[in-house]
Amino acid sequence: MNRATELDLMRLLHGELPEDQARALRGRLEREPELAAAWARLERTWNGLELPPAAPAPSGFAQRALARARREAGNGLSWATWSAAPRWVRAAAAAALAAGLVLGVGAGSWVGRIGQATDETSSLTEPSTSQYGDPSLAETYWDSLSATETTP
Amino acid sequence: MGMESARAASSDPGWDVLARVASGEGDAFVFLVERHQDRLLRLCERLLGDIEEARDAVQEVFLKVYRNAGEVRPQGQVYTWLYRVAVNHCFNKLRRRKLVRFLRWESPAEEAETVPFDPPDGAPDPAAALEARRRWQATRRAIAALPDNQRAVLVLARFEGLSYKEIAAVLEITEGAVESRLFRAMRRLEAAQESDSSRVSRKEGRR
Repeated sequence: MNRATELDLMRLLHGELPEDQARALRGRLEREPELAAAWARLERTWNGLELPPAAPAPSGFAQRALARARREAGNGLSWATWSAAPRWVRAAAAAALAAGLVLGVGAGSWVGRIGQATDETSSLTEPSTSQYGDPSLAETYWDSLSATETTP
Repeated sequence: MGMESARAASSDPGWDVLARVASGEGDAFVFLVERHQDRLLRLCERLLGDIEEARDAVQEVFLKVYRNAGEVRPQGQVYTWLYRVAVNHCFNKLRRRKLVRFLRWESPAEEAETVPFDPPDGAPDPAAALEARRRWQATRRAIAALPDNQRAVLVLARFEGLSYKEIAAVLEITEGAVESRLFRAMRRLEAAQESDSSRVSRKEGRR
């Protein structure tokens, strides 16, 4: 089944198909099982979209909206929202935000790399004893023994 | 086209109400809100998936209307314009939500899972009520997983009952684009419903 037929099925479902075309398509649905299966699938999906009845607006909603509108109209500053700002101001702010993000991410990864490099260097330069703590008693013994052996 | 001639071209008396709002008539604003609040609330709830957020959104939409009533060019029906303002407002909210989610390293699945349960619908059969809730949850999850532009088209078509032409007017796109987005949305929803029903049958098989 091609896309045009699928779109026709959708139009039929929504009542958007002209009557003569709708009649022709209904005739095909009776003759073509594949088309009928696609139609059944479409109808099932459409009818399966169920939501609970919407809650009505709370009482006094309109009065509260009016009170808020008048309050905000009285306060000129409250209109200074982003949506009220000229397009170039919004564009400049967005560009500054993006630049800040890029700089932040870049600086973060740079600092991370420096830290990593410092760790790697420190592991190379630090004495090996730091890995084990103080020299053990056995090492001290062998060191002093070798010292006495070399002493004339 | 001037305001007067444009208004003459439009048959919707709602534009006159809007003109009265622009001139500062509080009663006209209350009338406008009361006339459209329920449908906008329903639309915003479907788009945002949260009733509290939807109430805030609708109030903000009417504030925008109050602010811009004098600047709007009458064209078509008032409710189409109101739908447009509401859809754009919800899109902005969804974008902000995505940004927050990105900054918090959350996945979209987490958002879909946070959709609250609805109160019991008063059905006498508890099992049927539970099943209805499960279906509602599945629908909400599936709608929440749609891209914003497909979600808007689907909600306007399925839950607001708008024609392709009306949806095109609300979203300022062509009817072809409406059809294409709806088609893609239906494909995704079909897949989501299939995976949901196979999950349910797996669960029931384990019992």
